[in-house]
Amino acid sequence: MSKKMKNNTPKKKKRSTLARWFRQTVLRKHDIDYDNPEVIETPLKIVAQNFFAKKTAVFGVVVFLLILLVVLIGPYFFKLNLGEHEQTLIHVPPSNNMMKIPKEMHGRISDIAPGTTFGIGVDVDGKVYSWGHTRVTERIDLKDIPDEVQEADLKMIAAGMDHAVALDTNGKLMVWGNTRRSQARFTPDMEKAQKSGKNWNIVQLEAGMQVSAALDEGGYLYLWGNRSNFDLGIKREYQGNIAKIAFMANEYISLLKDGNVAYTGIKGKGSPFSKIPDELLQGKTVDIAATDRTCAGLTEDGKVYFWGRLEKGENEMPEIDSKIVKIEGGRFHYSALLENGNVVSWGNNDYNQAKAPAQVTTGGNVKELYVGNFQNYAILENGEHVTWGLSGFPLGTDNFGRDMLVRIINGGRVTMLVGAIAVVIATIIGVILGGLAGYFGGTVDIVIMRISEVVGGLPFIPFAMILSAVIGSRLDPTQRMYLIMIVLGILSWVGTCRLVRAQFFAQREMEYVTAAKAMGIREGAIIFRHILPNVFSLLLVSMTLDFATSMLTESTLSYLGFGIPLPTPTWGNLLTGANNSIIIQQYWWRWVFPAVIFGMCTICINLIGDGLRDAMDPKSTER
Amino acid sequence: MGKYVLKRLVYIVIVFFVISFLMYALYNLIPTDPARAQLEPMRQQLKPEEYIRMYKQLRKEMGLDDHLVIRYARWMGIIKGLKGKFDGLLQGNFGYSQTFKKPVVQQISEPMKNTIFINIFATIAALGITLPLGVYCAVHKGKKFDTTVQTMSILGYSLPIFIISLIFMYFFVVRWGIFPLMGSKTPNAAYEPGSWEEFVDKVYHIALPVIVMTFASLGGMTRYVRSSMIEALGTDYIRTARAKGLREKVVIYSHAWRNALLPIITSILAWFLGIFGGSVIIENTFSLNGMGKLYWTGLNTLDFELVLAIQMFYTVVSLIGSLLIDLSYGIVDPRVRVNK
Repeated sequence: MSKKMKNNTPKKKKRSTLARWFRQTVLRKHDIDYDNPEVIETPLKIVAQNFFAKKTAVFGVVVFLLILLVVLIGPYFFKLNLGEHEQTLIHVPPSNNMMKIPKEMHGRISDIAPGTTFGIGVDVDGKVYSWGHTRVTERIDLKDIPDEVQEADLKMIAAGMDHAVALDTNGKLMVWGNTRRSQARFTPDMEKAQKSGKNWNIVQLEAGMQVSAALDEGGYLYLWGNRSNFDLGIKREYQGNIAKIAFMANEYISLLKDGNVAYTGIKGKGSPFSKIPDELLQGKTVDIAATDRTCAGLTEDGKVYFWGRLEKGENEMPEIDSKIVKIEGGRFHYSALLENGNVVSWGNNDYNQAKAPAQVTTGGNVKELYVGNFQNYAILENGEHVTWGLSGFPLGTDNFGRDMLVRIINGGRVTMLVGAIAVVIATIIGVILGGLAGYFGGTVDIVIMRISEVVGGLPFIPFAMILSAVIGSRLDPTQRMYLIMIVLGILSWVGTCRLVRAQFFAQREMEYVTAAKAMGIREGAIIFRHILPNVFSLLLVSMTLDFATSMLTESTLSYLGFGIPLPTPTWGNLLTGANNSIIIQQYWWRWVFPAVIFGMCTICINLIGDGLRDAMDPKSTER
Repeated sequence: MGKYVLKRLVYIVIVFFVISFLMYALYNLIPTDPARAQLEPMRQQLKPEEYIRMYKQLRKEMGLDDHLVIRYARWMGIIKGLKGKFDGLLQGNFGYSQTFKKPVVQQISEPMKNTIFINIFATIAALGITLPLGVYCAVHKGKKFDTTVQTMSILGYSLPIFIISLIFMYFFVVRWGIFPLMGSKTPNAAYEPGSWEEFVDKVYHIALPVIVMTFASLGGMTRYVRSSMIEALGTDYIRTARAKGLREKVVIYSHAWRNALLPIITSILAWFLGIFGGSVIIENTFSLNGMGKLYWTGLNTLDFELVLAIQMFYTVVSLIGSLLIDLSYGIVDPRVRVNK
């Protein structure tokens, strides 16, 4: 009626056909609104409106989607290495300061001693600074530099795994940090040399895993520290003939004054390190360096030769257009300074330690290079510094030195996947059984409800533990993951079944079902094509809430050790063993971060589920 | 009422046998061989033929070659055992624990006391808090207090119990040092059994686990009580009662509360079972000497007679729980008595 009137108005007639066409096609919605003041909205739209009107529900959706995105996309960037075990990075707290040289030192760096997770530096005035994760134990912290070191005019410093060594201009040697493993116990000949000053013109100071070395200008080498896992001996014939030394993890090699390389320790027999390439025995070696398990020697013509246990790509040196003048080794990588002032890094790149930035690979103005376990410091000619490598772990590391961030992201993927598939299994079983029981009623109903009572009556966690233990003992970790999904699915369909049954009871009396029956539609089609879509909205709510429950159950099982076994991470088994006071207090990052993200995730899912239920509830719209 | 109770009892007995048979069958999937285990030490001294003969004989003696149903009946104590008398679960023989080298009955008596002690404590505490809280929130729906409780309760039922335990451990043990971290009694404490000091020490040790369990069950229960109370308050008879001019107290506690109680009782069953399942986690986290801890140990050491016995305990607990719920249904709701 109104449309007719509107078309008859003179105003309307004046409009061109083009404008009318435009109105009808592009702005049609507006037209309809205008014509039908009483807007009829689809139920879906009302539900959506109700849902998004709730702040908590929207918050839940947003945060959950963020977590989901991180968990789905994250693993492609933070790749999980199940065999990862880095002894030097155990229980590192959340940090980002391992290469953060203090501001006071900027532009005034005179020497840097990079340690495992920390660095110690001396500025041009001889003042000592430390940065990074310096705490060794609860009591010992390398940050607490002794007064005698701070006051001394330092000539040289070196940093090992848990101790640091400094030498002042008077030839006094000072050690701080962890000294419980004889890191500060000097050998008698050292004491003698220090007192007399003879053979004590130190040119190189080195520190490694609880061991240290000082090299005299005359080629006299002093070694001290923890003997239990380091070859601290020196063969007599080499003493007084050593020009430079390099520390591996448990051994050291020397560059002799005659330009040859030698294994000067006493445990060299049969060791891969004593199989030195012939090219380095021609008297033309100018520099040596070592990583944990490999050694490298540089000859006069700029060629580098590697030997040792080459397992992590330490010998995969890139093509270089210039001559190497200095080579330094980290834990699994090498960095070299070139004649043209550039730097190259190669070897293991787990922590980006072999990925030198363009500024130093092409800048051509690097003056000095310091390499720690996973850190590189390049000092430019203008006094500025460039760093690359491991700067820290945003969420800390666990008891195997594994990055918690990587494990949390990958663990989330496992937990969510298991939860989702378990819910799908439970829903399929619940819908089929509930649908059958609700539609047919009678004997079918009684049988199915008795089954569901039995399953629902089983104590959930103990029963899931038993299934996992009995069946899971013969399975590999991947199969075990599938087993957990199936077990959770099989044990948790009862709630869905009851819900669907109750809904079917109500729906089957409706006219549309009678109509469908009258048309001769098969019963299976009536159940799944006609009734089920009407139940779907409620099903969605229960699936959402069940998803959170399944995730909780999976994590609980994994926490108890009957879910997905380590080392595959899940949000549950990341917390396994966290119930002791040392972890709770000192290594708090090991439980706080997984707990927070997991808690956030389940809270958000529950918020979404609650919001959906309220939005779909017709009573809530009436109010 | 009597007929109704009888019917439920019969039903529960049937379910008990079904579940126990399922469990027994499940354990028989495990590839263990007690006969071989018993003969293994003598293997070196015996000739191969002799060994095989003895092995076969021992299997026969132990009844390992019989059909699953017969073995189950023997284990249950329905038919005569190998020694010619009834000696099974029903007669109180729960088997022999290989891990602890003693009969299961002896091994589980102490943990069972502890677990029941903890769970009853937690149940009373949780119900004592949630029922009034839920009713109060329902009556004052939409007020600030109610919204706060609603938000908090989402925390309660979203967080897994072991995370709650860790948080409570951090504050109550590490930070404030109020409670001990672990164990169910002070190590090396010389108390006379049954003395007051012993009881105090026990309560001191289980206090934190009980607090955690109570806290963990607050969320879900409060919400449940609240929603069923709201539903009851929205019905027509409440409007009628108010229209009659009844006092608000009478309306809430006499008219609405009684009707809201019905769905609450149903939910208590699920929750009661959950709390026993949850005590497996709690007992392991706090290293309490309870059924859950024992169960965990048994599963890890593959001590299946022990595990089977504890599993039966859990099953019986859940069945008794459901029976109690059914009976209280009968008491609370007169319709149940009439209809069935």
